[in-house]
Amino acid sequence: MKKNRPIQALNEKARAIQSLAEGEQATVEALQEGPPAMPVGCTTIFDTGWETNPRPTYPVGNCQSSAKDFHGCAGDCWWPAQVPDGLTNHEDFDKQCPNVARDWRVLKYD
Amino acid sequence: MTDNLLCWADYRVIRNAGEPVLFAVEDASLFALSEEAHETLCRWRRCEFIDLDEIPLPDQELLAGLRDARVLLPVSGEQQLLPRLEPGTVPLSTLVLEVAQDCNLRCTYCYAEAGTYGAAPCLLAPDTAREAVRYLLDQSGDREQVTLVFFGGEPLLNMQAVRAATREAISYGGELGKRVQFSLTTNGTLLNAGIVNFLHEHRVSVAVSLDGPRHVHDRNRPDALGNGSYDAVVSRLGMLLEDSPAPVAARVTLAPDQWHRVVEVFDHLVGLGFHEVGIAPVSPVTTALLPTPAEETALLSSFRVLARRFVDEAKKGRILPFANILDVLGRLHLGQTKSVSCGAGFGYLALDAKGSLFPCHRLAGEADFCVGNLTGGIDTDRINSCLGSLNRGRDQSCSGCWARTLCAGGCHYENNLRENQLGLPRGTSCGFIRGWLDLGIKTYAELRTDGAIEAMSRRLAQRAQC
Repeated sequence: MKKNRPIQALNEKARAIQSLAEGEQATVEALQEGPPAMPVGCTTIFDTGWETNPRPTYPVGNCQSSAKDFHGCAGDCWWPAQVPDGLTNHEDFDKQCPNVARDWRVLKYD
Repeated sequence: MTDNLLCWADYRVIRNAGEPVLFAVEDASLFALSEEAHETLCRWRRCEFIDLDEIPLPDQELLAGLRDARVLLPVSGEQQLLPRLEPGTVPLSTLVLEVAQDCNLRCTYCYAEAGTYGAAPCLLAPDTAREAVRYLLDQSGDREQVTLVFFGGEPLLNMQAVRAATREAISYGGELGKRVQFSLTTNGTLLNAGIVNFLHEHRVSVAVSLDGPRHVHDRNRPDALGNGSYDAVVSRLGMLLEDSPAPVAARVTLAPDQWHRVVEVFDHLVGLGFHEVGIAPVSPVTTALLPTPAEETALLSSFRVLARRFVDEAKKGRILPFANILDVLGRLHLGQTKSVSCGAGFGYLALDAKGSLFPCHRLAGEADFCVGNLTGGIDTDRINSCLGSLNRGRDQSCSGCWARTLCAGGCHYENNLRENQLGLPRGTSCGFIRGWLDLGIKTYAELRTDGAIEAMSRRLAQRAQC
């Protein structure tokens, strides 16, 4: 094994610790100014209004805040909002309406 | 910024073939350091507190790397202590049955007074053995697999109890959907075709106490008439090893004046066909068995030779069956830390031939360490108090030791023997333990550097979880 880092994990515990640190670092970076510009996660600032979607899911690069809301309040970022509740009532709603801005009515959510 | 104010965690740098390897004590994590990282570490180590914002590049990056490795910790963070275990909360995983507190040999170093544990010779009744098996399974919580160990004295003197317990384990374990693994430690002199068939049929992992070539073994392990037992063991070994479905291990005990023979002993036993060889330095049941510093050095040197051979074999894709190094490598591989030194009283119990429970097989028969019986179960307060009194203040005496999270105070039996019975001060075996763990870390680092560890990674991880 080549030494390619000045501090290189040898055992499984050390690998886990470094991975954890890398994960923590990414979270901090995501909230910093400057690139990368998109925030990761929600609630620090509301997702509404963010005009690009960083995820490889629909709506890709959308510029409609309402559509972004659907995804911004879904999955591990679920927040009780007036959007389909992907945890309980509308699981995998994005598969039912890949283009949220156009197809949101098929979900028939209240 | 307060969050960036860091202080040093406890660590030790060990040089392996000149390369610095960092062992972070609380996590048991291992990192290879570049010379530059090590030099930076040494330079900044003199500062008690470090504010990363104030450190110029490139030191800042290296120190941030040490922060990510948890070698530098936030001053504001809470110290992470290993969770304190309570005996009653750990489901039972292993029960040792002292099926025969009697033995046909008179080994010179026996800690159990010729297998009797200081009492009149006694055999475990088959009914009690069956009851013990049910106790093990009932107390095993959500474990799907438990281990039943047949021990003594010489367990083959009481095959009736061994057979009864095995049958019960299969039938009652089957009812509960649990699997019981069997293990047996024997002097090998009473093996016969019927017993070997039984052991093979039930995939019993057998450890045979054999101390090496005839001249080494016979001095340690004579029979009641004073005759050596080497021939009696070796003549029966073939049938046990032949087509054995479970590994057969040689369990070696050597007196200090034999420690320089470790390599010779190991080679002899591998040559006899054992699947694994584990070598234990004798417990000093008398002061005559206490080693001199030179003898301890000889033992570590011998182990070093075998560890070197282990690495050489690993590079060729082979595993040298040296149990001692496999055990320590397994734990280092995962970075397992301990808050108690072993499972004694925590998922591991021993039952003596009269039906009393003890934290482990070595403490069986010691009245001060009796922690219950099959009828009333274990008294967890009793486990806490007897192990607690033995270990009172040990946390403090171990707190400055870099090996504390790997060792956690050492063997209860050995500590009781040295400190309470022989009146030795604490720490008489610490030098050896640290030397051995130091060797383990160097061996692991070398295997990792050469990429040899990947091939055995799964086996090591499994071993550490046994």
